[in-house]
Amino acid sequence: MRFILPSQLRSKGVVGMNMRNVRFIAENNPRHLYSLVDDKLKTKKLAEEAGIAAPRLLGVVSVQRHVRQLIPFLEGQESFVVKPAKGSGGKGILVISGRDGDRFIKSSGERIGEVGLHRHVSNTLSGLFSLGGNPDVAMLEEKIDFSDVFDGFTFQGVPDIRVIVYKGYPVMAMARLSTAASDGKANLHQGAVGVGVDIGTGRALLATQHSLPVDHHPDTGRELRELVIPDWQDFLHLASRCHEMTGLGYLGVDLVLDASRGPLLLELNARPGLAIQMANGQGLRPRLELIETLEPGRDSVEERVAFSVANFRRG
Amino acid sequence: MKSNKRQLMILVGVLLCLGLGVTLYKVLFLGFALSPSERQTVWTVEAEISFLAQGGPVEVSVNLPDNLNDLVVVDVVDENADYAYRVEEQDGVRRGVWSKDHAQGPQKIYQRLNVYRLETGKGREAKLNEAPPKVVPLSGSAKQLADSLLMDVRAKGSEDPVSLARELLFQLNLPENNTSASSLLEMKDTFGGSLELARSLLRRAGVTSRVVRGVFLNETGHNSLKSYLEVLAGNTWFMLDPRELVVVDSNAFLIWQRNNESLLEVMGGTNSKVSFASVENSVMANKVAIESELGKTPLVDFSIYTLPVHAQTSFKLLLLIPFGALVVAIMRNLVGIRTSGTFLPILIALTFLQTSLFIGLALFVLIVGLGLVLRSYLNQLNLLLVPRISAVLVFVIIIYLAISVISHKMGSDIGLLVTFFPMIIISWTIERMSILWEEEGFKEVFIQGGGSLLTSSLIYLLLSSRLVGHLAYSFPELLLVVLAAILMIGSYTGFRLSELRRFEPLGRE
Repeated sequence: MRFILPSQLRSKGVVGMNMRNVRFIAENNPRHLYSLVDDKLKTKKLAEEAGIAAPRLLGVVSVQRHVRQLIPFLEGQESFVVKPAKGSGGKGILVISGRDGDRFIKSSGERIGEVGLHRHVSNTLSGLFSLGGNPDVAMLEEKIDFSDVFDGFTFQGVPDIRVIVYKGYPVMAMARLSTAASDGKANLHQGAVGVGVDIGTGRALLATQHSLPVDHHPDTGRELRELVIPDWQDFLHLASRCHEMTGLGYLGVDLVLDASRGPLLLELNARPGLAIQMANGQGLRPRLELIETLEPGRDSVEERVAFSVANFRRG
Repeated sequence: MKSNKRQLMILVGVLLCLGLGVTLYKVLFLGFALSPSERQTVWTVEAEISFLAQGGPVEVSVNLPDNLNDLVVVDVVDENADYAYRVEEQDGVRRGVWSKDHAQGPQKIYQRLNVYRLETGKGREAKLNEAPPKVVPLSGSAKQLADSLLMDVRAKGSEDPVSLARELLFQLNLPENNTSASSLLEMKDTFGGSLELARSLLRRAGVTSRVVRGVFLNETGHNSLKSYLEVLAGNTWFMLDPRELVVVDSNAFLIWQRNNESLLEVMGGTNSKVSFASVENSVMANKVAIESELGKTPLVDFSIYTLPVHAQTSFKLLLLIPFGALVVAIMRNLVGIRTSGTFLPILIALTFLQTSLFIGLALFVLIVGLGLVLRSYLNQLNLLLVPRISAVLVFVIIIYLAISVISHKMGSDIGLLVTFFPMIIISWTIERMSILWEEEGFKEVFIQGGGSLLTSSLIYLLLSSRLVGHLAYSFPELLLVVLAAILMIGSYTGFRLSELRRFEPLGRE
């Protein structure tokens, strides 16, 4: 077992859990705003009002008797996603990528019938997938058409980009790439690869899996250093705007890249984790503290993004 | 935000000062012991009053010893069931009074006092508000005799009050050597005895003195009251043995009678006499502190000691729980051990107190393990949350029953201890761990389960320590210190121990 000295961590500017909770979350995220991000339906409505691009909402099933109208409602919809509004960790997300007669084709290739779909939505409403088992609603969303720029960088799943936004300034970013070990999920502690992304350029910095440096994607063998996020400025703008949209000062913004629509807002997180520091090989603290020295709320989104690009670029 | 931090620091400071201050006060001034095994010597003095009752109403009154500066009368026990007992107080003098409407023949009354010595070292210091004892004034020829005697005494070079008194007593003890002394001694009855005479002479010499009668507590066996002359020198009373002419250590001398207070009065009886016996025994120091007169300060009076005994017993346990919470806070926020829930480790530790550590650990692993196996079956049924947890609860009770019955049949009743585990909490734990297993894998279950048990074991070790139990119970104000520590942990922004491992790769270049 190897350890690092607290003084070394401090000089690297690493933010620990206690500092994140006490100094950044508790002081910047008023608790009454949490429901805006914990309920994906609310987030989606906010995004719509703010004109922030997100996967389109097809409909919401909120009462059990609407479950039976699902099939006529979805007529002509080749692919779609069913999501619990208050789910966590990807639980209860059903991705339908096509149809096979009366049956639906799941992204894994498995087929599901009408009854199966009904049961899934009905379970979602009763809270089977929500935190604490509270009653929930099921969201019907259009399926994202993943851009092929990530081909070879992920295995079987959704590549997403997490940007930490502090008081409206994008401060650090990483791409989360699913692996066989993470079971197609972009969940770092389950074995997904985290690739630090340069705020200035959108290029890959470092890559880690299970907190340890890696060079190549473990399943596809692609060199992770080659990863470049296209339209990076758009990602930064989108992430930065989520600050005004929610009022949260310390925010994790999860974005995806749609082949035709560009960056879309997938979800928001009021308690983003700290593994992003590992993927960047750098601590968050100097960046957060730099922003704390600025006068709050004076700048436009463009100015904030320009500030971040100028101050946080590495390459 | 900065003012929040300052407010918190002020709050923490106030809590620390209050908690530690009250604790120190109780230790230093009220005689509370920091260690659970500290014992104090308590003397039990028994006064035996005997008399012959004449067949009518009887009333016996005995002067009660007062609390001195450092000799404290803890309690007065009266065990004479057929006599009505009361304490009368008049002009600052307390007397125990026994009465009965009808009594005939020889009677015996016992009074037991428990006396305890505080180590304040103030025993001989005069109390400020103490009234100077009255003396019989010298008059006529006595005045001249006194002056001549005092001149002789002073001629011996005795100037300070103590040696003056010693020399005076010496002269009075050997009257044949000094005519003034022998003449004065002939009039001693008008003064009320030779000691009172000595007091009047000392008064004339400008020395304050008093006569005390009492018993030495460290002399065991029967003894009667002995009289001593006390002389005030500066701010301190010195006790002189009028027979041996030496200064006697009065640390263990219980004054029963001062000056001319009457010791024993019996109405309706004859041949009354009183004798004393003392015995030494040791008692828990805190019991003494609480029961003594000093314990009647609001600090002790408005505390758990005034609650009924059964309530005190439950507080003994309740007062420990915050210490467990402190351990959880330390383990989670300073060390970074993940536990399953905040309160589970505390509750499990409380269970261990009933079952002992290793049996408790084994039973916990057994219940939760079996519960997880059964719960994994429920997984396939896609049940809703509340019925699912209810089903787990039923499982848990079945597991309890099975463990108890199987263990009993095998001739050991260890399994019966399983009932001490809080089943609602165990059900919740099984449910949470099962979800964790599904979502994060077995490793996470192992980490959280292990973390919970490690934390529980530490809490158990802390709570089962006699010292901690004693401190929590005797000094409930330490809760404020625990609260201050918890508040400080709550605002701690430094690294957790586990993060020094987690972020270790950041140190590599």
